[in-house]
Amino acid sequence: MQELTSFSRRQLLRSATAGFGYLAFSGLSSFAAAAESGAASNKPLSPKAPHFPARAKRVIFLAMAGAPSHVDTFDYKPQLNEDHGKPGRYGGQLLGSQRKFRQRGQAGLWISDLFPQVAEHADELCLIRSMHCDQPVHPAAQTQMHTGTAQFVRPSLGAWTLYGLGTENESVPGFISLAAPAGSSRNFDSAFLPAIYRGTSVGRASRGGGAGAQQRGVSASVADIRNPGLTSSQQRSQLDLIQALNREQLSHKDHAPEVEGVIESYELAFRMQDAMPDLMDTSNETPETLALYGADGGPTSAFGQQCLMARRFVEAGVRFVEVGNGGWDHHRNLSADLPVSCEKIDKPIAGLLADLKQRDLLKDTLVIWGGEFGRTPAAQGGDGRDHNNKGYTTWMAGGGVQGGLSYGATDEYGYEAVEDACHIHDWHATILHLLGLDHERLTYRYAGRDFRLTNVSGNVLTKILS
Amino acid sequence: MKPIVALSRSFLILLNATGFALLCTEASTGQDADGRPAPSVEQVKFFESKIRPVLIQECYGCHSSKTGNAKGGLRLDNEQLMHLGGSSGPAVVPGNVDESLIYNAISYQDFEMPPKKRLSDTIVEDFRKWIEMGAPDPRKTEIAQLRSQISAEDIAQAKREFWAYQKPVMPAIPTIDDESWPRRELDRFVLAGLENAQLSPVADAESSQVLRRLCYDLIGLPPSREQLERFVRAWQKDPDHAVATMVDELLESPQYGERWGRHWLDLARYAESNGREVNMTNPHAWRYRDYVIDSFNVDKPYDRFVQEQIAGDLLPAKNDAQWAQNLIATSFLALGPKSLSERNGAQFAADLADEQLDTTTRVMLGTSVACARCHDHKFEPIPQADYYALAGIFASTETYYGVPASQFGNMGGVQNRNKSNLLRLPIEDPNPFDKTFTSEELEQLTAQMNQARQEIVESRRASSGVGKNSANAKLQIQNVVRIQARMAAISSQLGGVDAQGKPISYCMGVQDRAEPRDARMLVRGEIDQPAQMVPRDFPQVLRDSPVDIAPGSSGRRELANWIASQDNPLTARVMVNRIWQHLLGAGLVASTEDFGSTGQAPSHPELLDYLALKFVDSGWSIKSMIREICTSRTYRLSSAYDLEKFEQDPENRLLWRGTTRQLDAEAIRDSILFVAGRLDLQRPRASEVAKAGYMQVRDGSLINITQLTAFSTDDNGRRDAIREIIQQRAAENSTTIGDRPNDRRRRSRDNLRGMAAGLLNGNSEYTDMVHATYRSVYLPIVRDELPRALDVFDFAEPSMVVGQRETSSTPNQALFMLNNEFVIINSEALAKRVAEATSSPTQRLEQLFQLTYGRSPTTAERSAVRKFVLDFDAHSAAREPPLSTMIALSQALIAAAEFRVID
Repeated sequence: MQELTSFSRRQLLRSATAGFGYLAFSGLSSFAAAAESGAASNKPLSPKAPHFPARAKRVIFLAMAGAPSHVDTFDYKPQLNEDHGKPGRYGGQLLGSQRKFRQRGQAGLWISDLFPQVAEHADELCLIRSMHCDQPVHPAAQTQMHTGTAQFVRPSLGAWTLYGLGTENESVPGFISLAAPAGSSRNFDSAFLPAIYRGTSVGRASRGGGAGAQQRGVSASVADIRNPGLTSSQQRSQLDLIQALNREQLSHKDHAPEVEGVIESYELAFRMQDAMPDLMDTSNETPETLALYGADGGPTSAFGQQCLMARRFVEAGVRFVEVGNGGWDHHRNLSADLPVSCEKIDKPIAGLLADLKQRDLLKDTLVIWGGEFGRTPAAQGGDGRDHNNKGYTTWMAGGGVQGGLSYGATDEYGYEAVEDACHIHDWHATILHLLGLDHERLTYRYAGRDFRLTNVSGNVLTKILS
Repeated sequence: MKPIVALSRSFLILLNATGFALLCTEASTGQDADGRPAPSVEQVKFFESKIRPVLIQECYGCHSSKTGNAKGGLRLDNEQLMHLGGSSGPAVVPGNVDESLIYNAISYQDFEMPPKKRLSDTIVEDFRKWIEMGAPDPRKTEIAQLRSQISAEDIAQAKREFWAYQKPVMPAIPTIDDESWPRRELDRFVLAGLENAQLSPVADAESSQVLRRLCYDLIGLPPSREQLERFVRAWQKDPDHAVATMVDELLESPQYGERWGRHWLDLARYAESNGREVNMTNPHAWRYRDYVIDSFNVDKPYDRFVQEQIAGDLLPAKNDAQWAQNLIATSFLALGPKSLSERNGAQFAADLADEQLDTTTRVMLGTSVACARCHDHKFEPIPQADYYALAGIFASTETYYGVPASQFGNMGGVQNRNKSNLLRLPIEDPNPFDKTFTSEELEQLTAQMNQARQEIVESRRASSGVGKNSANAKLQIQNVVRIQARMAAISSQLGGVDAQGKPISYCMGVQDRAEPRDARMLVRGEIDQPAQMVPRDFPQVLRDSPVDIAPGSSGRRELANWIASQDNPLTARVMVNRIWQHLLGAGLVASTEDFGSTGQAPSHPELLDYLALKFVDSGWSIKSMIREICTSRTYRLSSAYDLEKFEQDPENRLLWRGTTRQLDAEAIRDSILFVAGRLDLQRPRASEVAKAGYMQVRDGSLINITQLTAFSTDDNGRRDAIREIIQQRAAENSTTIGDRPNDRRRRSRDNLRGMAAGLLNGNSEYTDMVHATYRSVYLPIVRDELPRALDVFDFAEPSMVVGQRETSSTPNQALFMLNNEFVIINSEALAKRVAEATSSPTQRLEQLFQLTYGRSPTTAERSAVRKFVLDFDAHSAAREPPLSTMIALSQALIAAAEFRVID
């Protein structure tokens, strides 16, 4: 009897204190923070309850590296066209947009002819036309877009999301970065958060990055996902042996969370070996679906494949998927090159929105589109636009945002956010809010202080919530 | 002594005119402006009619706050900013036309502005008049006067009341009940704590466990068979003696410095590339790595070690060799990640000083002063002014982190807007690894540079002559970028050698600026929001009286002396706490970088003071402190679980048992090589990054294509050059000591293939270094491109100060163990090693367990292995050689938890 009691007490204690012992949660003090955020669990990746009911359960982030021109796509500026050729406020000459804008959807959102198919979904889109950030150069601004700051190495939005919510499929990583540009690992890194929250890079856009890489699309690759020599059943026997050895270790110890952690990591890895290649194999999709995404050939093929894969991932329970797309830095040849960039993604994105809708996933999947900043209303070298971080546009659709809405505004030319300005911190606060997370409570203790994605700022854009 | 110090400047190559940006200077800002009379009506009229319109129309496009894009950091929006100037210096010095760079620029002297169209002579003359009349400017910025919320009394009170701000005091040695337990005095403190909580320590660990701990803790490698047998025998006779002897043996081994030096490199955010957006290599960073390892091996007194890293350049040196070491030590301040693409020079300089200040204070003082950059520290008695007092010291320091300049100037990569030079060592490396050029090659390089310069002129002409958007113009612009990259490569090659073509030895590091100055406070830390000046000083709460800085010096020497002083309340405590953490799993202060009020209180405050004072008394000897701790009873405790004790103290703060730990990345990789019989203990020369030279890292490849183009501009020639380099590298690699010829041949072939793949397909194989057999501390540490074997096991992020590594169990680690080439190669070697030793299956299994775990298999393990062999072979094709089973078995043992857990 005595023994029984003590056994059950031990069990109890073990589960109650596993958060301390479990080495994935090595920052001991983080446990308190995790418990406070409702994230108390003995497994760092188990689904966790949000702070309040979530409108979105998962995120697809379409990240446009290079900074798309807002005044030629989603931010209609008739005054800019009227004053075309006049001196710009900060030098240069104003460059009117050559694109035709018209009102789309029931809500009548102004969208240019560069996104004819995305515009079909105008009533799902919430355009945030008052974005601004602190960084005028690409890599720094991209880092700020992902982590809130360019000055320090900090966890990315996806890592925070995974830390806050866990994941729903134990066979695949909870945070996947598809076709990430080379050298961008800090943008999906976990920094001081435990490594388990780091994004898993899938199908790097080739390490060369750039426009050529985007053409090649995604190769089915997760590092070390396949054994070069062993058959699957051989590897299973090998894994059985590894786990037998691990359990033998465990049997000698009364409390060995570090060994338990290793055992679990092998099980997930083995499941990933099966699940990931299947998940990434789109050959069983119907021709109609492939065509819907433009994944069946032509200029839309690469990004279409990636969008399709993003849908497959979120459908499988992945919490956060980022899809990268580059080549938006139109300092020159804007009139010729911008349409090419838009064409590559217009149909795939429209297909993604349509597909999510028809699968009833859009209602709780948050789709985000945007670049690290926008471009100047004034011309650069006649047919180009320079960097502009003081005002630009991103959009959201699905999980919890009001469709058919235009939020905030830049001035009459598109230089600067002047109405309901939305800083990156506000944008992050809003995304977390949609996921049911309070950006002020989602904290992690590191180097003696509680860190959060939004640092000491961030206001939720309550006007865009549905 | 003195002359040597004074000489130091002459050894610098000070061609770097642009990287010079000050936070603020007396001459160019504020004070005189403050006292000046307001401009008269006529003066305002002159400004409004002749000056302001020109500024708006011609300058603001690139040089105003509103563009968010101030080129050269120069903004002309108001008087203050004009006086502050950009990265090249003040734009306007009232009354002094020659020093006003704006006049220099618009009159097309050293600068040419606006770049495309020269202003009319009338306008230029207007500016001259305006500057001569004192540059009256109604566009005033207030110089703010910041007032602190933290009073002198607050600081005094913190000094009185908070433990960490008081000097350590030697405590009384506690009395205890169980006199038989302690081995060292420190054990008495631990036992007193336990007895006080009515806890008792668990039993000692087994001898084999203690040895395993000692070996991993002190040298990062598993014990050899011979060591194990010897130690177990000695332990049976006298455990205390056995431990003491083994500790001495391990501390004397050169592997000790590699292990403990790496702990320091974690703190020093050591890396061989800049990281961030412009990831330039630092081909000389390895000198600092070797300096750190050597310092630990010779047990350099810690106070000296600290002084060298902060102010080695200012310390007297006995001879040139020591001087060289002192300079290399200051790489500590130069190694941080920098925003090389930052356009605002003043911002860049402020961020650089901030990074140095933050790293120094957190590493050496366990205090985050940098929190006070934008406002008073929220939790500590550190007013914002204290930050700028300390920042002034770093801002008075010039940092060298770039490429050597050639006679053609300093070219540091196309996107790099903050170019820098390097320090030339006073003695040449006796064993240089850089390429020597023949006079022919030198001529060729110079000729190519001149040709490139010509090409760039032509290319620019071609692109400006035709329509901006023509295909031709685009091509020309791409061409210019390509030529610039080539010029940068040639220039760095030329800068790396003397006139005879012999390599010159450089290091990264710092020097005092010619005119050190106090810094100006900045409202919210924003560079264009100046406030009052503050004299250079140390944080008030940590020092006794204001520092007296020698005239004409930055104050770094004083800072180094103050930190490395036994009167500093934090330095010794912070370091002994780190040593304690590495040996016992957690620090007495668990937050090793935060000894402040937001950090954790020490679990054993008296013990911490005792150790700190003992450390100072020993002459700051790190080896003595390690010896002290390792020979204690506390160190020897078993990690056995005990329910009751666990309930009372689940975190083991009172040290009732040993802490189970996971091996870190280096120990895992080194151990895999060790058990495979492939570990090469020879220190490799320099580093892969040094071989690659100055380049921007892309694609995870360290092959510097731009360098190759220096000798051949056409595509065929380049391909030949690449092939040649690959073969040359393979040949170099094949001379590793201790290799069998077969291995060597295969490896060189594999290397060749790997590098070719890396080069042609953008494969990461090259920085992953799966075939390297030297210790992990010598692998190339390229920011954002870490070798996978390190990255996957929670290696210290090399952009951050890391005092404690994360330990996680991730599926990526499991995938690495199951499928990575490095693991497979070494499993194969281990299997062969065992197969060659004996042919009996039982003996082989015994051998395998002894090699990997230092013990025999249990009965359960034997049967698990039997089952595995049956299953595995059943799946195999017929007649498959049994070696494949042995390999898979070897891999399983490496992959299982026991291999990477220390009890």
